Amino acid sequence: MIQFIVRRLIASIPVLLGVVIIVFILVRVIPGDPCTAMLGEKANAERCAEFNARIGLSQPIPVQLGIYLKQVFTLDLGTSTMFGRPVTDLLAQRLPTTIELTFYALLFAIVVGMSLGILSASRRNSAVDVGSMMVANLGVSIPVFVLGLVLAYLFAVVLKGTPIALPGVAAGRLSPGFRFESIAVAWGMKDLAGPPRAVLDFISNMYTINGLVTLQFGLLFDALRHMILPAVALGTIPMAIIARMTRSSLLEVMGLDYVRTARAKGLRGRVVLFRHGLRNAMLPVVTVIGLSIGGLLSGAVLTETIFGLSGVGLTITQAITSRDYAVVQGFALFVALVYVVVNLLTDISYGYLDPRVRPS
Amino acid sequence: MTRPSGRLPRFATLLAGAAIVVAACTPAASNAPSTGATAGPTTAATGAAAIKYPATGEVTCPSGATAGSYNGTEYKGNLKSIEAPDASTVIFNLCAPDVAFLQKIAFSVFYINDSAWIEKHAADGTIKDTMNGTGPYKLDAWNKGTELTFSKFDNYWNKDKYPLVPNAVLRWSKEAGARLQALQGGQVTGITLVGPNDFDTVKNDPNLLLAPAPEGQALNTLYLGMNHDDKPWDKLEVRKAVALAIDRQRIVTNFYPAGSEVATHFTPCAIKYACEGPDWPSSGTAADIQKAKDLLTQAGFPNGFKTKIQYRNVFRGYLPQPPVVAQDLKEQLAKIGIDATVEEQESGTLIANANSGKLDGLFLLGWGADYPEVTNFMDYHFGGGCTAAFGTCYPDIATPLGKGNSTTDDAARKAAYTEANTKLIDDVPMVPIAHGQYANAYLAGTEGTQVSAISTEVMWAMKPPSTATDPNTVVLMQNAEPIGVYCADETDGESLRACEQSMEGLYGYAVGGTDVVPVLATSCDPNTAGTQWTCKLRQGVTFHDGSTFDAQDVVLSFAVQWDAAHPLHKGDTGIFEYWGGLWGGNLNPPPPATPAPS
Repeated sequence: MIQFIVRRLIASIPVLLGVVIIVFILVRVIPGDPCTAMLGEKANAERCAEFNARIGLSQPIPVQLGIYLKQVFTLDLGTSTMFGRPVTDLLAQRLPTTIELTFYALLFAIVVGMSLGILSASRRNSAVDVGSMMVANLGVSIPVFVLGLVLAYLFAVVLKGTPIALPGVAAGRLSPGFRFESIAVAWGMKDLAGPPRAVLDFISNMYTINGLVTLQFGLLFDALRHMILPAVALGTIPMAIIARMTRSSLLEVMGLDYVRTARAKGLRGRVVLFRHGLRNAMLPVVTVIGLSIGGLLSGAVLTETIFGLSGVGLTITQAITSRDYAVVQGFALFVALVYVVVNLLTDISYGYLDPRVRPS
Repeated sequence: MTRPSGRLPRFATLLAGAAIVVAACTPAASNAPSTGATAGPTTAATGAAAIKYPATGEVTCPSGATAGSYNGTEYKGNLKSIEAPDASTVIFNLCAPDVAFLQKIAFSVFYINDSAWIEKHAADGTIKDTMNGTGPYKLDAWNKGTELTFSKFDNYWNKDKYPLVPNAVLRWSKEAGARLQALQGGQVTGITLVGPNDFDTVKNDPNLLLAPAPEGQALNTLYLGMNHDDKPWDKLEVRKAVALAIDRQRIVTNFYPAGSEVATHFTPCAIKYACEGPDWPSSGTAADIQKAKDLLTQAGFPNGFKTKIQYRNVFRGYLPQPPVVAQDLKEQLAKIGIDATVEEQESGTLIANANSGKLDGLFLLGWGADYPEVTNFMDYHFGGGCTAAFGTCYPDIATPLGKGNSTTDDAARKAAYTEANTKLIDDVPMVPIAHGQYANAYLAGTEGTQVSAISTEVMWAMKPPSTATDPNTVVLMQNAEPIGVYCADETDGESLRACEQSMEGLYGYAVGGTDVVPVLATSCDPNTAGTQWTCKLRQGVTFHDGSTFDAQDVVLSFAVQWDAAHPLHKGDTGIFEYWGGLWGGNLNPPPPATPAPS
């Protein structure tokens, strides 16, 4: 297994290198430049020459690429021209939002999607089956931004003042002015510094985890309330795909001989379904879930924009608009890295679900 | 900048240090300071409590087309020195009179920081993330990606008046629709920049209040530009024909939100001296079309010609629907035989092409006020700051503008801008089309609602309605997160608005208006020649960290922006963009960049 992982990791190096080079060239090929994007009508040749010299864009592109590759190998992703901050700092600031959003969207997609799929498969051709699949088809058909706006209008505007009202679009991650303590402060380690502090602060920015581990339940519930609509909006399409995949895979497995044998042995239907059917039907579902994580990252761009969540997706959008090369390159590299890792984890999980495909 | 501790007052410490620097300098060195350290504030020779920047060397002012010099480098700026004869007086010496001096120092980028704060936080790079101002609200936290939270500053010098409520929160969302929904949902007290299509929605909602810019206060201009160095725009008749053919009222009526105006002058009339001289002639009538055709015939184009209308598809207050307006212009020009192709260019590319004179057809561009002064519109386009957008600069327009920006005499300024506006009509470098209306929206019942063309809405003068979720907290939602809160080195309105809540300058803009009012200065008065401004500082003002405000803070706040070689010339990008644009140039500018080999 370790050999398999190492082999896969080594194989991913050229992939990541390719991503770095392609993104590096692409951002420079598209029209526009950071100076005119930032200064707008106020940009002129003299100021832009100074600006470009300052951020290293006056050098030939191959030289810029060489410098950038050297930086990347030392884990330095450069400095944002728009924010004036190291890209790694920006990533550390913005990532917790995206991690939380993606996690809850995935949780929603898996729990609801698998439940609907199992329900459909176990009651094939019934009204429940038809209803579940209608929900799935609807879910896969509605774009994230439409669903997000509709949900927000319903729960924040129409239902305003009712107990089931929820913070709507542009609501951010917490109620305005909500005050809370970071994990380091709550745990009495406010003087902690260096990497341990950075790690704790990173985790602190995942508010639901922060609220949970520091027992700030007000923070936990406020963060959860603000996360419900974005997570549902983002998770609906993968939910629908998972539901359909679970249903079809489960129906296929439930028709196999060993399942008939299990039934013939007199096992209860629920045991047959969950112990013998579901586990073996999970392989394609896990593949879909793995692929969905990538989809969630790209869908997060829209969800974060609508709901005012400054995560990785929104930052990439801003960076592209303002031709912030360092941020686009750094974040693209990070997203590629996530894909590589998720694919690896998906492959590893196959082995646990089906020993026949376990790598030797 | 003195802290309320028992240590030696910082002002005196700096003076002593500076005296040592002066004593140590040889005559040769004093004439050629190469860094901010050698140019730093120092005492006057008399030993009185005085500081001057630059402390060493003389700034030679630019003269006509000839650049000045300082420290062996070229100097193009208009500031000659800053002096503080005592702790409560600051004197700005200029190379030439600057009629917009007060409007400039009232601009958010020239807000005053505590000198000790600058020394610490510019050096360690944290200055862009935190604020230590003198304003009614102090910044409590910048929860990155989410909000900035402010609370009442108990020692504010005008605390009996402001803030109206103890807490404030600044949030953001890029989408106009999302901002509106946040307001409808009661999550915020107010939003900036209502989408042009949402004006009626807000007006018709009894729970909301639309706050449009007052009549004539839309401080922006859309224009259709022509480069007279290119054919056929080199012929005046052609430019005049274009001006006559365009029905500007039709564009404003059909494509702009209610309250927008057809431009009678290039600069919006809310700005003083903007509308001296004749109105832009009427256009677009049947008679005008016939006149335009005749002019084209005179110019040798009886059957018209082919050209392009170039635009960028970027929403701006002066152009809410770029492609639609471009298409309408195409149809209008077809009436006089001009066959125009509509061409969209990437935003930065269009600006770069315009500024370098590479746009060979018609182009749609605009301008929004940085500060409400006629020079901000006219000089940048047609005066000393003119680019190649309209071709070689028009000397007959630039000359009166030069007169207008160098005198404080009311009659002389009126005469200068009358002449400049007349020449604009005569030369037609562009056709001014519209001043686009914009609006903010608030919960109904909010007190102190404001809308500003220059991002100066201040939450400390607002009060949410008693029915708000939290009546003690103003929540304003703007369209983007601030990039940084050291506004000396920022250019985006969102950052500037964040600074407005907590920082103050020598002067500022009246709440909800564009008139300048003294804030940290009690007065700033020019000498008779207009080349020296003496500012008397307000006493008893403290910064949020408890330090006392004095002249040293003013000198250093300006000096670190002015001197590109100053060790504390650090911010977000380090460009300090507005300094160059407003004061003409830096001391010790970096050497010109070598362009990349193609």
